[in-house]
Amino acid sequence: MKKRLVSVLLCVTMAAAMAAGCGSSSEEPKEEPKKETSEEPKEETEEAGGDTLFQQALAQVDEDLAPLPKKDAGVELGAIESTLTNSFWVTMQEGYEDAAEEYGVKIDVQATDSDTDTAGQLDILNNMLVKNYSAIAVSPLTEDCLISGIVTANQSDVKIITTGNQVNEDALAQAGGKIDAKITVDFYNQGVLGAQYIIDNTDGGKVAVIAGNEGGTQADARRDGAKETFEKAGMEVVAVEQCDFDAQKAYDAAAAIVEANPDLVGIACGNDDMALGVVRALQEKEMKDKVKVVGVDFTEEAKAAIEEGTYDASVAMSPYLMGREGVIIMLKALEGQDVSEVGDSTPMAVVDASNVGQMSDWH
Amino acid sequence: MKNKRLHNYAYTFILLGVLVLLTVVMAAASPYFFSWKNCRNILNQSAIYLVLSIGMTFVISAGQIDLSVGALIGFSGMTMGLLCQAGASAFTAVFAGLAVSAVIGAVNGLLIAYGRINSFIVTLSVMTILRGIILIRMKSKSIFGFGPAFTFIGSGKVGPVNMPIVISLGIAAVGAVILHMTRFGNYCLFIGANEAALNRSGVNVKKYKVLLFSLCGLCAGVAGMIVTARLNSAEPLAGQGYEMDAIAATILGGTSMQGGKGSVIGTVIACFILNVMKNGLTLLAISPHYQQILTGLILLLSVLLSESKQRKKSEV
Repeated sequence: MKKRLVSVLLCVTMAAAMAAGCGSSSEEPKEEPKKETSEEPKEETEEAGGDTLFQQALAQVDEDLAPLPKKDAGVELGAIESTLTNSFWVTMQEGYEDAAEEYGVKIDVQATDSDTDTAGQLDILNNMLVKNYSAIAVSPLTEDCLISGIVTANQSDVKIITTGNQVNEDALAQAGGKIDAKITVDFYNQGVLGAQYIIDNTDGGKVAVIAGNEGGTQADARRDGAKETFEKAGMEVVAVEQCDFDAQKAYDAAAAIVEANPDLVGIACGNDDMALGVVRALQEKEMKDKVKVVGVDFTEEAKAAIEEGTYDASVAMSPYLMGREGVIIMLKALEGQDVSEVGDSTPMAVVDASNVGQMSDWH
Repeated sequence: MKNKRLHNYAYTFILLGVLVLLTVVMAAASPYFFSWKNCRNILNQSAIYLVLSIGMTFVISAGQIDLSVGALIGFSGMTMGLLCQAGASAFTAVFAGLAVSAVIGAVNGLLIAYGRINSFIVTLSVMTILRGIILIRMKSKSIFGFGPAFTFIGSGKVGPVNMPIVISLGIAAVGAVILHMTRFGNYCLFIGANEAALNRSGVNVKKYKVLLFSLCGLCAGVAGMIVTARLNSAEPLAGQGYEMDAIAATILGGTSMQGGKGSVIGTVIACFILNVMKNGLTLLAISPHYQQILTGLILLLSVLLSESKQRKKSEV
């Protein structure tokens, strides 16, 4: 009897916890991501206007997207990102939310638990289609995973645009669907820019590539961009390692590579997390002075390391601006403007010690 | 004995109560929740986990674990994808994919039963081996563009109901009959409760272990078929991490990790609970991170509840 009482009590607690979870958290997620990137510089520069690289880039985005949509359109927008465990997507979420606020519309941003849960991402899209969003911006985990959901969205007259990642448009067309606009990132070019930095700053020799997860669109494109650029420039690529965007794996790989190739001159990495792992491995072997390391993303940590002089360069692009573009393009599409040709305008920059000072507010 | 059974039923009713409560809370919180379209969404999305968890229920009932099911989803998808690409009919591709999955499950079972290796270790190894093979064979790229006969499995409808719903509920029904009404099911539970005693009574425990894992492999194969058909694409990383979702649903359903106690209906309800939560939180636009915390909490509470009796019995 006593046990039954305990059971009932537990049940009630569980229900209460759930209800509390639903009720209280609705405003929290918006607050949370702001911890990642500092809020101050943004506000400062909004008044400063046009001075920093970021302000120029922001002005450029608005100029490229002109005519800008009207404010307070009274619509509800949705966005589905890849996982929010990566600061890239968290910053992009900020871009979505700030732009939505600026334009006086509401936006809900959702994401999957992990980088690989393609079916889960499709589930989220289908779930969101039950609500009456006017437009949804999606960043598909793979080129094919959201196709059936996009077709459903087309049928219910919800505008769909892709941000960052792309869909396989042939397969989509075959399935009878279409997207209204796409904002693309040239991931291949990110690899090229990183490799080019190493080529420009060394006298040739042996290099290595540390790549992300094999099969991932961005990981593979960055890897191929770096590798092919090195090869074209006559550098010897002694190793290409898949390290799943994991700093520890990159650390191990780099340690092994420099052990086998003490005359290595450069390592191009698929993101900053891995690059910083590589930097640590090189520091421990006291080889950092001889090897140039570049990465992609320009995270807060990477910025600090570049300022400190331990890390050479990172290819920056602005997920924040991409989110902003997403909102503006959705609103334009809803106004009936032609948006089929907008979208690979998201600015990129190679940041090293020489220009990191101008990047204080980049995000 | 009678008391114990009563305890099991009580837990299943509590689960059902939680599901109903959760549904009511979600329906009150979001006007979109309680529509037929959304209910169909939830059932449809539960299908993959449901099929996977049914297989896992058998394995865990027998006191074993199978970590390879996520990788098997990818493997069966790849098999079907490659065959379809080579021009085989949808039927052949499906048959071959399922057969391969059952065989890999049987290999798991053989290694565990005859190699006398712990199931955790065997299936962990098989998981990484399979994933490696998939990445090599598919060159890390997905295979897409299946014929309409194949995609019907994932997105077709029988009347108003999606195919994955039909398949998963069918498998759940068959699974319930097998686990609770057949000798094979009894032996599964018995292996979990007291393997040595069952062996001494003249039952070929090893043979049943092989069958058991083969069944779990087959379920993973079916899940792979649904994933592939629904996405219209076989992806090298499909199913990654799904083994943990299946284990969570099985445990939440009241199947004991120690073996000897298992409930298919519990697993089914648990799957729905987890998916109703996922769906509801999306509709309420709540961050997926909260979902993970909730899943963990619910799992912990459920085990506290369902195994309170056992813990009281043991001294430590």
